[in-house]
Amino acid sequence: MDLRPAEVTSILKKEIESYQGESSMQSVGTVLSVGDGVARVYGLDDCMMNELLEFPGGVRGVALNLEEDNVGCVLLGSASEVREGDEVRATGRIISVPTGDNLLGRVVNALGDPIDGKGDISLSESDYLPIEQPAPSVVERQPVTQPVQTGIKAIDAMIPVGRGQRELIIGDRQTGKTALCIDTILSQRATGGGDPSNPEQMLCIYVAVGQKQSTVVDVVRRLEEHDAMKYTIVVSASANDEASMQYLSCYAGTTMAERFRDEGRHVVIMYDDIYKQALAYRQVMLLLRRPPGREAFPGDVFNLHSRLLERSAKLSDDAPRINPRYKAGGGSITALPIVETQEGDVSAYIPTNVISITDGQIFLESNLFNSGIRPAVNAGISVSRVGGSAQIPAMKKAAGGLRINLAQYRELAAFAQFGSDLDAATQATLTRGERLVEILKQGQYQPVLVADQVMIVHAGTSGGLDKVPVKQVQAFEKTFLAYMRDTKPEVAEGINSTGKLSDEGKQEIEAGAKAVASQMGY
Amino acid sequence: MIVDPVTTRYVEAFFELASEKGVVDEVRADVDMIAAEVGDSVVGAWIFNARVPLEKRRAKVEELVSNCNPLTRDFVGLLFVKNRADVLKDLGAAFRAKWLSSRGSVEGVVESALGLKAEDISSLSASIGAKLGKEVLLRNKINSHLVGGVRVLVDNKLIDFSVEGRMAGLRRKLMECELPSVG
Repeated sequence: MDLRPAEVTSILKKEIESYQGESSMQSVGTVLSVGDGVARVYGLDDCMMNELLEFPGGVRGVALNLEEDNVGCVLLGSASEVREGDEVRATGRIISVPTGDNLLGRVVNALGDPIDGKGDISLSESDYLPIEQPAPSVVERQPVTQPVQTGIKAIDAMIPVGRGQRELIIGDRQTGKTALCIDTILSQRATGGGDPSNPEQMLCIYVAVGQKQSTVVDVVRRLEEHDAMKYTIVVSASANDEASMQYLSCYAGTTMAERFRDEGRHVVIMYDDIYKQALAYRQVMLLLRRPPGREAFPGDVFNLHSRLLERSAKLSDDAPRINPRYKAGGGSITALPIVETQEGDVSAYIPTNVISITDGQIFLESNLFNSGIRPAVNAGISVSRVGGSAQIPAMKKAAGGLRINLAQYRELAAFAQFGSDLDAATQATLTRGERLVEILKQGQYQPVLVADQVMIVHAGTSGGLDKVPVKQVQAFEKTFLAYMRDTKPEVAEGINSTGKLSDEGKQEIEAGAKAVASQMGY
Repeated sequence: MIVDPVTTRYVEAFFELASEKGVVDEVRADVDMIAAEVGDSVVGAWIFNARVPLEKRRAKVEELVSNCNPLTRDFVGLLFVKNRADVLKDLGAAFRAKWLSSRGSVEGVVESALGLKAEDISSLSASIGAKLGKEVLLRNKINSHLVGGVRVLVDNKLIDFSVEGRMAGLRRKLMECELPSVG
């Protein structure tokens, strides 16, 4: 950033002239003990929960335990500069983070400070909002009806996610959880052309909790390569950051999302991953000597996640009339929390908690991943409790039979392995199923537009691919979509403009599939 | 002054009993005497030394308070019975704070780069006292780091009128002010 020295001087002169000095009364305390990222402070009589505290050397802390004779707080910086007996000042401010459009395209830490080396973020006092805010009340919400297009066929067709929904992504390590998030971010480009000033553009916030720094760098690089950082904020509290920063980062990201939601815009936020946040919270709470419960997590670990995810909602159109906090109605936050399981154990403490809070889960399985089915979504046990109401009618129609077809296929495929003679109906189900499984496979960083998804899924469920060899399905899909784009663009246009798939459209798709199949010699 | 909550609780009960019996001034003199004795490094080190048998320590303290008010003697005896002899460490400060608070007063420190005149301290006490709604008793402490002005610490509250504090505030403000960007 270049600066004009003359302008800077005039601004500084103005600041110095207008400076009145702070003569207000400040609450102060004394550090009793410090270590492991937490400190106990004597004094601070009027301290508030989550109040930001100032330690010597510019180190900041947050008050979390208000006890009879001391305040337990977590340090948001290096503890090596804080000593016993140091003076601590209360700031009178609840911990807040910057919000707004200026953060888009940036990588920030849990306090909203930029860490991408691209210079300071221009902010005003009103851009700072508290990281803990109440979730919208019942009357301020409306049911989830608009879809979030993840660009992933398996999800958009069978486990639709709606704007304002909380959909858990759960699976073992190396099953493609982060990849799924990145694909979702890339896919949002289609909502507003990737232009953050377009009110239709879905904004994205990726919160990396306890990740390797290299992973975060990789994610940012991918997003930049695909020009998706323009409408994305990355909040990073990586594995080497203090546990307090890791625990607060999810709330910080949500506050940034809420600013957009309250302005009537749409945001999708990913917490990667929320299990590590619970671990960081456990660490902080054990150091603050809160009583441990199951698996040594503190008693309020359920509330830790429920109060976070409850803030994701679809606001009612007349929310501003009910609560002046909202500047416009109809905005939404869609949350995609990630939980990493150990050996596929979804019945562990934190996974079951988050499953019960969210509106469904996308289960990624290592077996599927290793057998080449990517994204490795297990359609059998993945659910979306919002369901079809978050799908456009065209997709609802096209994907109607997909789930049942696949379920039948999986059941029969188990028997077919015995190799006995199969009747024609069984054979047909297997043939169809194999091709549908193949259709749902998708490469990484290749989100598919919703109209294309509808066309290929309909082509599959209507039997248009039955004669195409399984290995050729991917090639068929490419050719078929190109054929439809070139020769029958009105079908995709119809789906995009009306959201519906007309009978003529269906016939066009079936005819197109037949034409491409015969063109390919099947 | 950091006082252990256990000490605060014992002192509160002790002070209330003294008030009920109308012997606050006598007890206060006893407490000051105990604080002075315990504050002596040699005596203090012996009384709070865990290697010295409890009976011997108790006998020593009971000998100290033998001429005190019966309430003080009972209080000290109870501390040893309850194994709370450590309360004696901060007894003086805690009792004084309680006594002051019962009179609507509070003690504080006014730090300044140079020594303050008595009338300056009293006018400062009066103005801060009016703000806090309490009588404020200030003690002057020299702190050359302040450069100029004063810094008052009273009742866990800090009122900073020092040059150092103002410079720190200005530094913060300048760091936060928005600068124009070009290109």
